[in-house]
Amino acid sequence: MSCSPYDLKDFFFGELEAGQGRQVEEHLEGCPECREEFERLRLTRVALDSLREEEPPRRIAFVSDTVFEPRWWRALWQSGPRLGFASAAMLAAAILVHAWVRPAPNVALAPDTAAIEARVGAEVARRIAPAVQAAVAESEARQANNTKELVSAAQRRFELQRDADRVAFAETLTYFQKKLNVLQLASADLGARP
Amino acid sequence: MIFREVEDRDLIAKARRGGVEGYNLLISRWEKRVFNYLLRLVRDREDALDLSQEVFLKAYQNLGKLEDAGRFGPWLFRIAHNEAFSLLRRRKPEGDAEPPPTGEARSFRMFPIELTLAVESALARLAADQREAVILKIYQGFKFEEMAEVLSCPVSTVKSRLYTALDLLKDTLAPIQTRGVQ
Repeated sequence: MSCSPYDLKDFFFGELEAGQGRQVEEHLEGCPECREEFERLRLTRVALDSLREEEPPRRIAFVSDTVFEPRWWRALWQSGPRLGFASAAMLAAAILVHAWVRPAPNVALAPDTAAIEARVGAEVARRIAPAVQAAVAESEARQANNTKELVSAAQRRFELQRDADRVAFAETLTYFQKKLNVLQLASADLGARP
Repeated sequence: MIFREVEDRDLIAKARRGGVEGYNLLISRWEKRVFNYLLRLVRDREDALDLSQEVFLKAYQNLGKLEDAGRFGPWLFRIAHNEAFSLLRRRKPEGDAEPPPTGEARSFRMFPIELTLAVESALARLAADQREAVILKIYQGFKFEEMAEVLSCPVSTVKSRLYTALDLLKDTLAPIQTRGVQ
């Protein structure tokens, strides 16, 4: 019976962690019985390793035979894009079922779309044309009124500007008149001196 | 190791699409391991070869059930395990096991061929599930988790079988001092 802190066979097969292995190694150094047991394990392994592997007497190989190959549906299912195949198959089945179940359109009851379109066109023309004319006339009147107001405002601005210019001209003329009077008085004063 | 795994994945994908050539390449990588596993378990070459062919055929037909291509090895050996034990059940129960050696374990020296025979004899005396645990661990190098996957049992059961088998083998094989073999 081994007195090793851990199973010697676990240590022999390298199953212990590093710390545990070191403890067993230290124990082996000081325990002749366990050292002898470990040596017997080693000798057993050496003896077992003397048995050599043999080559198989015949090589094993298969030929391409459909009996041994997977069924086509299994190969398809086991292939990489099998989900894609499954999705496509389900989509195709859904389309087929939908086409089968959906009722066919009743051709006899189909409306005369050309006549309806012509009638709708005539009605639209009858109602739209007067409304368009009224809208155009209203728009033209509104435009003329706007133009008249703009012209009137421009005339008022022009008259105000003209009045302001007239006042400014009058004031300027008065200013220069006064200057001229002053110069004349000064000239007469200079001529009267001896 | 990673490249090998990726290549196996590619071959599995090809085989799933019905590519026999890709699958044959996959077989060539694994057949020696599977054959030797079966040979040491059932201890008959013809049976081992027949079972190997059956294993690879079933694997091909059930590739679609392999969820993770990276686990192809344990999955393949799980099929091999089922095939081997199906055969062993058809045979008479472990009565075909060799009788234990007479006399106590001795320390003696052997030629390599004698050692090989002694190892085969010692393995043959184990119960089939113990022998299988030794084969998977010692000769096939599986991890305990992978062995549990192959055998469909807990890791603790795997360890128990292996360690019991190792104790039995140790009593027989450890005293042998080989001559010409270290």
